Amino acid sequence: MQVTMTVNGTEHTREIEGRMLLVHFLRDVLGLTGTHWGCDTSNCGVCVVWLDGEPVKSCTVLAAMAGGHEVRTVEGLAEGAELDPIQEGFRQCHGLQCGFCTPGMLMTCRALLDRNPDPTEGEIREAISGQICRCTGYSSIVRSVQWTAAHEAAAAATKEEAVAP
Amino acid sequence: MDLHTVTEVISPARPGQWRPGDAWLGGGTALLGEPRPHVTRLLDLAAAGWPPITVRDDGVEIAATCTIAELADRLGRHPIVLQCCHAFLASFKIWNVATVGGNLCAALPAGPMISLSAALDGTCVLVGPDGGERRVPAAGFVTGEGTTVLRDGEFLRAIHLPSGPLGARTAYRRGSLHRHGRSAVLLIGRADPDGGMSLTVTAATRRPHVFRFLSPPSAAEVEAALETIPISGYVDDVHGRPVWRQHLTRHHARRIRAELAV
Repeated sequence: MQVTMTVNGTEHTREIEGRMLLVHFLRDVLGLTGTHWGCDTSNCGVCVVWLDGEPVKSCTVLAAMAGGHEVRTVEGLAEGAELDPIQEGFRQCHGLQCGFCTPGMLMTCRALLDRNPDPTEGEIREAISGQICRCTGYSSIVRSVQWTAAHEAAAAATKEEAVAP
Repeated sequence: MDLHTVTEVISPARPGQWRPGDAWLGGGTALLGEPRPHVTRLLDLAAAGWPPITVRDDGVEIAATCTIAELADRLGRHPIVLQCCHAFLASFKIWNVATVGGNLCAALPAGPMISLSAALDGTCVLVGPDGGERRVPAAGFVTGEGTTVLRDGEFLRAIHLPSGPLGARTAYRRGSLHRHGRSAVLLIGRADPDGGMSLTVTAATRRPHVFRFLSPPSAAEVEAALETIPISGYVDDVHGRPVWRQHLTRHHARRIRAELAV
């Protein structure tokens, strides 16, 4: 079957098997291997991408179901060489070690901050529930999100000051 | 879970397309979560574009394809709705995809949408291969672990929740072996304005059991009602033994009766 979807702003049309999962479409057909493939049963969360702006686990979504929709993957976070602040936060606070869970974590945490720019630790931990990290104990991930929230708040304040009369 | 035997996805699907080996596809979280070697085609209902929630004079109609996130967003002002959404113990990534209808049709004892729709006197709207509709009480939709009243080629179109029960005072109790474990028992009590009360037992039992009382029941009346559930009617799996589930059911039923009596 033929499927057309927009991934990171670019429209792609491909002939695929109907049973193909979105995670495999992204990795094996489009070559976007930033999205990882882990448990295959929606438990580990390494495969989280955005579907029409909402984080979903791409191992339990068929590529066919994403047809006509917009997908954003971890490759779509940075703008050129400039990291998204959440990526910078993970870099600053050692939010990753082996990096396997990181793409999913980044997509979830970016979505969290877009909806809630100043989350509590509890809200951060709830947001990343259903996503497993075996390296960091989650503490440094939480710190990374907090760093990003503070960084973005400071950047917004600076921007407001700059435009004030 | 890659479904190796699936050769085709029909999207969007229509009544009458079903044939043996087909499975209706809602959000996919349950269907794609474990091997389904007998499934050869997927009939995608999620692409049908049904409005997730339709408010009517006599209540609300929840499309089978309404996601848990949409349900929580639109009807979360009713405490029991939000409590049942949280009973999924799923992250919001799952809420964004999993559907109300999918949870009902999976017919797992711990399915919280089963609890919700049974406790609120919901009615399931089923569509047959010829496009004709039939309606069954939500409390009777699930007949056992993994089984429903759905016939070959029939799909769940919507769940109607009447406005009275939806707005009634409710009491909710859930128990599991672990705080974040699968529900081993989920009870919902409902106090109606006419003085009646209902008690819905799910998760502990193989199918929902709804007990109705014309007036606030005594403890003995509740006990007597629960006695009608045979021990073989309780679920026996790694999430809890039948005797333990029966004990918790009685314990939570007593608490619910006391709470709603106030």
